[in-house]
Amino acid sequence: MIAAFGITAQAQDKGSVLIQNATVITVTNGDLEDTDVLIEDGIIREIGKDLRAPRGVETVDATGKFVMPGIIDAHSHLNGVDINEARNPVTAEVTMEESIDPNEVGIYHALAGGATTIHLMHGSANVIGGQGETLKLRYGASQEGMKFENAKRTIKFALGENPTRVHGQGNGVQPRTRMGVEQVIRGHFDEALDYKRKREAYLEAKANYDRRQRGTPPVPVAENLRYEVLNDVIEGEILVHCHSYRADEILMLMRVFNDYGIEDYTFQHANEAFKVANELAKNGAMTSVFSDWWAYKFEVYYSTAYNASILNANGVVNSINSDNDQLLRTLNHEAAKVVRYGDTSVNDAIKMITLHPAIQLGIDDRVGSIEEGKHGDVVVWSGHPLSIYSKAEMTFVDGTKYFDLENDPDDMRIQINPGADYDDGSNFREIVTRRDEDACLQDSFILMEEQNNAYN
Amino acid sequence: MKKLNIFAVIVALLFSLSATAEAQITEKPEYGKFAITGATIHTVTNGTIEGGVILIDGNDIAFVGQNIKITDEYTRIDATGKHVYPGIIDGWTGLGLVEISAVPVTVDVAEIGQFNPHMYAFTAFNPHSASVPVTRVSGVTTVLSRPSSGSISGKAAVMDLWGYSPDSMAVKKSGALIMNLPSKGGGSWDTRSEEEIQEQYENQIKEINDFLNKARFYDQMMKAYEADPSGKTKPDFDPRMEAMREVLTGDVPVVISVNDEEEILDAIEWTKGQQDMSFVFAGVREGWRVAEEIAEAGIPVLTTTLYTPSRDYDSYQRPYENPGLMAAAGVKVAIVSNDTENSRNTPFEAGYAAAYGMGTDEAIKAITINPAEIFGVADKLGSIEEGKQANLFISDGDPLEPMTNIEQVFIKGFKIPMQSRHIQLYDEFLNRDAVNR
Amino acid sequence: MRKQLLLLALLFVGLGMQGIFAQTTPAQALKNVTIHNADGSTTQSATIVWRNGVIEAIGTNVTLPFDAFEIDGGDSLHVYPGFIDGFSIWGSPDLPRPQDLPSLDEPGNPPYDRAGVQPERKPSVLLKEDENFETGMKAGFTTAALYPNGNMLPGQVEAFYLSTDHENVQLIKENLGLAGSFEEAPGGWGSGAYPSTLMGVMAKFRQVMFDATALQQHMRYYSQNPEMPAPERSRVLEAMFPLVNKTTPLFFEVDTKEDIERLFKLQDEFGFNAVIVSGKEAYAKADELKRRNIPILAGIDFTDMPEWYAETKKKEDSEEDEKEEEASEEEEISEEEQAYREKQLEAWKAEVSNIKKLMDAGVPVGYASAGIELKDLDGKIEILLDEGGLTEGDLVSLMSINTANILGLNRTLGSLERGKNASFSVFDKAMSEDKAKVLYSISNGTIYEFNGN
Repeated sequence: MIAAFGITAQAQDKGSVLIQNATVITVTNGDLEDTDVLIEDGIIREIGKDLRAPRGVETVDATGKFVMPGIIDAHSHLNGVDINEARNPVTAEVTMEESIDPNEVGIYHALAGGATTIHLMHGSANVIGGQGETLKLRYGASQEGMKFENAKRTIKFALGENPTRVHGQGNGVQPRTRMGVEQVIRGHFDEALDYKRKREAYLEAKANYDRRQRGTPPVPVAENLRYEVLNDVIEGEILVHCHSYRADEILMLMRVFNDYGIEDYTFQHANEAFKVANELAKNGAMTSVFSDWWAYKFEVYYSTAYNASILNANGVVNSINSDNDQLLRTLNHEAAKVVRYGDTSVNDAIKMITLHPAIQLGIDDRVGSIEEGKHGDVVVWSGHPLSIYSKAEMTFVDGTKYFDLENDPDDMRIQINPGADYDDGSNFREIVTRRDEDACLQDSFILMEEQNNAYN
Repeated sequence: MKKLNIFAVIVALLFSLSATAEAQITEKPEYGKFAITGATIHTVTNGTIEGGVILIDGNDIAFVGQNIKITDEYTRIDATGKHVYPGIIDGWTGLGLVEISAVPVTVDVAEIGQFNPHMYAFTAFNPHSASVPVTRVSGVTTVLSRPSSGSISGKAAVMDLWGYSPDSMAVKKSGALIMNLPSKGGGSWDTRSEEEIQEQYENQIKEINDFLNKARFYDQMMKAYEADPSGKTKPDFDPRMEAMREVLTGDVPVVISVNDEEEILDAIEWTKGQQDMSFVFAGVREGWRVAEEIAEAGIPVLTTTLYTPSRDYDSYQRPYENPGLMAAAGVKVAIVSNDTENSRNTPFEAGYAAAYGMGTDEAIKAITINPAEIFGVADKLGSIEEGKQANLFISDGDPLEPMTNIEQVFIKGFKIPMQSRHIQLYDEFLNRDAVNR
Repeated sequence: MRKQLLLLALLFVGLGMQGIFAQTTPAQALKNVTIHNADGSTTQSATIVWRNGVIEAIGTNVTLPFDAFEIDGGDSLHVYPGFIDGFSIWGSPDLPRPQDLPSLDEPGNPPYDRAGVQPERKPSVLLKEDENFETGMKAGFTTAALYPNGNMLPGQVEAFYLSTDHENVQLIKENLGLAGSFEEAPGGWGSGAYPSTLMGVMAKFRQVMFDATALQQHMRYYSQNPEMPAPERSRVLEAMFPLVNKTTPLFFEVDTKEDIERLFKLQDEFGFNAVIVSGKEAYAKADELKRRNIPILAGIDFTDMPEWYAETKKKEDSEEDEKEEEASEEEEISEEEQAYREKQLEAWKAEVSNIKKLMDAGVPVGYASAGIELKDLDGKIEILLDEGGLTEGDLVSLMSINTANILGLNRTLGSLERGKNASFSVFDKAMSEDKAKVLYSISNGTIYEFNGN
């Protein structure tokens, strides 16, 4: 059922290419006119003028074109097998690492929109959802081959309407309120700390007993995956990405995290973050927001498309995310809207889809800007990438070309269902439009509908 | 279910309290005589005028051109280096009918029942929706606000986005009749057999045909009575049938939502049997596959670009190219938002069409004059022409570009305050603690 | 339970005391038959003699013992080693319908059965009437490894001699391993429970292993130290001990290459032995499977042949007869559709040649019904032979000795040899021929006569 078509790149192929005479948007060092970028074995070796291609390295003439770092989406559900393990309010033990579908043709569509890295996230049904996985869009690679090597671990939290609807209203278990949300988090952190103490005591006593074979052996304390992960969160090994909307719940989580000493976290969506920009900045908390979504649910009714600009002006590291397979294809224009709404500079807007999401995912030492030594994840654009008329012409990941507008066949599936004839309904995809809200909860909506049918 | 209702009530209470507590517009509009000078005027219907002048007198555009003496009674607006475009028309939105889509009590698009031609979006259009100012300051001055349920959902209204009542905002109360033909389903989730699907489809089509035939009979009966009531018993009034009469003359177009190739072809086939009505298709995602057929049927379309491809094996570009491919085949294309609170993104939907084959000029037409013509309001809207209503905006560039700023909007001659909730929140929170430390 | 032990005891007695019985029970025999050997070869004009469930003699040079009852069948019969279904739910109790499951107070923390964790279940205890037993025998099966229908850990795998009647289906060997899959908890969205997703199943599997490990540790400590608090015994967790201790394999039903990779991951973490069941895309992982020494009990529940391809083939066949009606009837299709078809066919061919590719790569492949309905078996076998690159000999090996090897039953089953168990099927013609039927099925020496219907 698996066949490779058009894709010659293999997993973790590191490529080499010399891109010449472009306007290079470095993100960290301004825009460089008429400049070359040399990528060797997947790494940006040199940025400068009149560079010479090493033997055997392909050159791309990008005269009149722009080169920008590949777009990074800090919030995506593009190729999750499942999104929500929505049966328990806390599921820290599950991980999207085990829910990757590497064959999703949407990966190619995203490459064609200039994206090279996504943060594949668990959904927002649970207060503490599953762990996320940062992926490079190496279309044609295996699930293992898609992973961003040595990216920081991440986890999804969610506040507000989604967890209270799914668990409180849907299953009749806490939380049904924002009060309950706080206590679910605190309660699980405390349980996790207790577990850690008991487990370590057990392991120590066991080692002693096994060595000396004297006294009474300890009653075993089983390894607990959920609490292990929560301890990793408390210890800062896992970056928290928290689905949130309202200013009050954002403040609540910062209070809780301060109590447990958790420092590295990003508020996702955060439509009301602009109301508490000062507090966010003071805590070093980051945000990842939509450019202009609002009013699709009550908790985003009092929000504004100027959110990103206010946050940026107040010193909050902010990114623009998609949470939506269509927006993922056009994130450059979502960033352009930040320039419109609040006069953020073009370079700051570009940061919001490159360097800032990289910071939020703990990969900014390797991607997010065009600098020597960073990964060769770059995109050649026909014009300025924030213009609606510009197209991604070539998308490189690790110096390997995964998209080329000149060689862009219609049918780019790599997984073919032999049981579906040409006109078969199963070839029809679920359409995602620009406005389909809350991809986070897409599968839980089905859950809730069925619950209503079942219990009405 | 009970729980949900209580929740909904609480939300409704909260909502109504806050909505009244928060004023949206604190400035007053200006109205009277304006002269916009120095701008590049994109008339849409008569080319582009560099460094031109637009005179607005009351509701209307009084002059468009270059050589005119501007008298002192005109308030001058220097737009040198700027651009003027006709107001954008979003021909497919729930604006005014939907406040918060996830809160059912604020959603007024779907009345109970299969056949509701007598439901008027006009009636439920909330002039004070927070989305209205948000939309109009982005250059969208007019929308077709539409209901959506059953086989006949009701009448969509063409509404200008300035005013304090539906009456003052309505360009056309009966902008279109909204219809849905039965779906043949057939997705991977559909467990019905092909025969069942076909049978159900035919039954549902028959129901619709029966309804329309009844409406035709009613119309003829009423006409006969109205022509000469003497000696005749007045037939009973039927609001549904009555509402169909303006549709059966072809005056009010019928919009049918269709997307897949097969759906489109089935709909074309069906419309051939309904010669007394005029039709428009909405959605039309696979229009490019059957563009010739749509053109031949003479059916205009309302479509979008920013969505993922409809089939696994489609090129990712197809949604972007679709409007251009249909236009090239001779279909009249309007590009719409298919959105509510973000109706303001209509020009960016068009921007993608422009970039992928349609070209800027045609894409601008697709959000101005084309929808005006489709809904029969081109005598007032859709271009910058003398005698037309003064719906226009001044921008610092191409409105299809997301980075372009819309600097001033005029609707019905009103120089409207460039205020909205989004802008107010920006003003309040950009430097929140400037004073209160 | 007691009944099984008794059966088992009798079985061992039977094997051990073969010599004694041989003197007292008449033998049975088939003469002048074509024998299809497990290695794929055939022996013409052969004779087979068995007594007390054991093959006493087989070959072309066999002298019938004086007390051999010769089964009347004519000269043209075909004898195949009894086919073995390596992983089957025949006789399994029905699962409750999702809508019949009571709703849970805490769907996030369900009891084991509602999570789909039921490793304590044994088919030998649960077997119920199932017409598949008879249908299976009519299709040539005499042996099956059964497991109870369920979810992620539905129960244990045990081997049985088949009979047309479930009461007489006899246990050969228990505790072959545990059955497993990535199937989420029963009930789906409506009345379901944790784990409700693939990633949830992965996590739950680990937690069950951790909990079983701790319990086993506790039980060991307690057995030596009765002064310590007693462990809370659990039939469920205790049934996991063989997997924790790596003493029996996990029979894991899995198809896509991504799911196979996920199984590898669990295997790396816990070190158990695995047998992959069904394995539709196993060919894509053939080298890794070989490296890990994971055998496949392959399913043949192939996707139906693409309709257009079936028609093309039919046309090709008939065109040999009548060449006149040529291109006139050629269906006109777009370039797009043509390209689509090529990909579709390539994908389909990859699927049906899975077994062949695995065999060529040296991965042990046996057979499992894995969800196939027996009525579809002939059609799937035909595809396997016509399109899947397998010879009839390969097929016989696949369904007999290869499967016996994987299940560890090859000492007594899987081939027709002197001293092996008398489990075989007698067809009226070669099974690859049209309308071939089983006339007799001999299961552990017992003859079932089907009269060809």
